[in-house]
Amino acid sequence: MRGWRRSPWFFGALAGAIALAAGILWRQLAVDSTSTTDRAANSAPLLALTLPDATGEQETLGQWKGKVLIVNFWATWCEPCKEEMPRFIKLQDEFGPKGLQFVGVAIDQPEKVRAFAKDIGLNYPTLVGGYGAIELSKTLGNRVGALPFTVVLDRAGGVVLTQLGPVKDAQLQSMIRQLI
Amino acid sequence: MVRSTARSCVAAALALLALGAGTVGADDPKLLPNDRAFAFSARGVDERTVEARFVIAEGYYLYRDKLRFTAEPAVALPALPPGKIKEDQFFGKVETYRNQIVVTLPLEAAAPGKPVTVHAESQGCADLGVCYPPQVQNVTLTLPLAGGRPGMPVEAPQKKSWLQ
Repeated sequence: MRGWRRSPWFFGALAGAIALAAGILWRQLAVDSTSTTDRAANSAPLLALTLPDATGEQETLGQWKGKVLIVNFWATWCEPCKEEMPRFIKLQDEFGPKGLQFVGVAIDQPEKVRAFAKDIGLNYPTLVGGYGAIELSKTLGNRVGALPFTVVLDRAGGVVLTQLGPVKDAQLQSMIRQLI
Repeated sequence: MVRSTARSCVAAALALLALGAGTVGADDPKLLPNDRAFAFSARGVDERTVEARFVIAEGYYLYRDKLRFTAEPAVALPALPPGKIKEDQFFGKVETYRNQIVVTLPLEAAAPGKPVTVHAESQGCADLGVCYPPQVQNVTLTLPLAGGRPGMPVEAPQKKSWLQ
């Protein structure tokens, strides 16, 4: 009796798993169905963003177009931001040679960014901006202007994901594998 | 079999919902703007004392060491009440405030019936895993006359948003 009662749940779980897979596929199709030019247009202000890096060199995000680009808005005053960065370092290590590029945009002071980058062994560049960079993130869906905020761009410069709050590791890894 | 099919459908629907929610994470529509999560107000208690108050929304907290008050005319450095200890991976032990924080700001000189502008700088986070940039909120109030009744709280203006 117990076995029979359990079996519908098994089928339910199976159906759920199928739906999950279908959902992922559907999301992918939904993303892909947006025309490339529209998606590139969404990311145009982001790719045009030019800010000094932690050493004072001017850098433009557009220089990394053609790679899978993950732009992470963060700050040293943001604990959840700092907590997810070691995972980004690992992903940059693993997927960097295959065409993945993380770039940080810190809403912070250069000396604090330099010290923290050294502490955690940051292996990707980070630009340093002010409130203007937060305003830019708002145009990409960061409704309340909080951190961390992460934008994933495909090789064509299309926005694939925007995420306010920490990014789930499994989700990010599967997305990177699809895009790379 | 009918029941099992129904259950399968429910499970499938739940899975789809979970998928939708999973991609959103902290990007919850309920996340409040900075100045609503941390609502600042102040009132004149007597001719040389201002009482500053943050009402902190549930699920949000302010860092004690990021809190600064200044005013025109000048106020003495306030004594901040102890916060609740929070263990951060990177910051270590930090003191935070939840619910509300009330701070007394003594003016350096009495100014009965005069206006006072208070600037409160604060920085806080939400338990959902996001932090807000430091913000400065300003309130201008009128101090009571000597021996007069304390003033009503004056709320810091909140930015208009399309949500309202």
